[in-house]
Amino acid sequence: MDCGTCETAGPIQVVKPDVVEVSLTISDKAQTMLADAFGDDRSMALLVGVLSGGCSGYMYDLQIIEETDQSCQEVNINGFRVLVPNASSHLLDGIEIDYVDRLMGGGFKINNPNADSSCGCGESFA
Amino acid sequence: MQTARYSEGHLSVWRGTDVLSFIDGLSTNRVHDLRKGECKQTTFTTTTAKVIDRVTLFHMGEFVACVSHAPFWDALHAHVSPRILGQDVSIFDATASNEFYIRFGHEPSTLGLHSTDDGVTVGHLESGYDLIVATVGKHVESVENLESFHSWRIEKCIPWAGYEITSKHHALACGLSEDIHPSKGCYIGQEVLTRMISRKKQGRALSVVANDEVQSSEITTKGESHSLAIIRV
Repeated sequence: MDCGTCETAGPIQVVKPDVVEVSLTISDKAQTMLADAFGDDRSMALLVGVLSGGCSGYMYDLQIIEETDQSCQEVNINGFRVLVPNASSHLLDGIEIDYVDRLMGGGFKINNPNADSSCGCGESFA
Repeated sequence: MQTARYSEGHLSVWRGTDVLSFIDGLSTNRVHDLRKGECKQTTFTTTTAKVIDRVTLFHMGEFVACVSHAPFWDALHAHVSPRILGQDVSIFDATASNEFYIRFGHEPSTLGLHSTDDGVTVGHLESGYDLIVATVGKHVESVENLESFHSWRIEKCIPWAGYEITSKHHALACGLSEDIHPSKGCYIGQEVLTRMISRKKQGRALSVVANDEVQSSEITTKGESHSLAIIRV
């Protein structure tokens, strides 16, 4: 097998969408839950990203982090630092971060106007 | 043991720390734990579980080699490319510098492993045949044409790209159940396939049939007396 290390293989172009300046909202209930999670330490940030995979092709990725190597844009909402990776900004512009309070399937939810469809559990969208 | 040249192979070289998790999240088989020296087949499907392509992955240590089928490459590329969202995944096209062969009709051994000798990489696949990727100019004894391979496939009920494996059918109907990991978690098309498996209803299935047993429109690979067909079950 010639793997192309000797410049016989050219890189395949991948789609790189434009970076979008993201606007997003956090519902009152989600802000309450985030306040519980963060405590008084507002140096931490909520990373809202997208991973490939899941039933519909893209999966939300929510993490509370101090910092990240990813190139991100930062949005500040009522003192909460929200980081959105530039690579997935086109998929996250206009989202609402909500919190659903129920025993099964509860937790943080993303309402995404860019999603054509989503899977039953709400973690994956297309 | 017989070897036939396959002229429609496509080789892409995938580099980066996120390659296996990326492919794992988008295809039917569990490949995130693939190790150097191993090879495995997995299938990319749409949200309705229709096949985009079945690929063979070779873990070569520093990269993952993905052998797919040239007629389906554009569709596969269009499927995976927009999903590279900042992950460490780079894809290179090494098709032009390699040739592809299929070795069949022998007792398969060391399934799931591959070996390389003097530019010729041989993958021993769970499907029961070997897939060979050879650097252009390296000699691989090839005495059979693909017709012999297709006759062997009919006997063994093995699907092949462009015949049974097409975008018209879902992965179970194509006969790719061995590519569908039962518990790996979500991937595109997983909900549909899991529902079919749990309800034992898949609509159609790949079968070996006598030529006069089914309508010719259902035959996907025609043999002298028997054929492969995707028929309602």
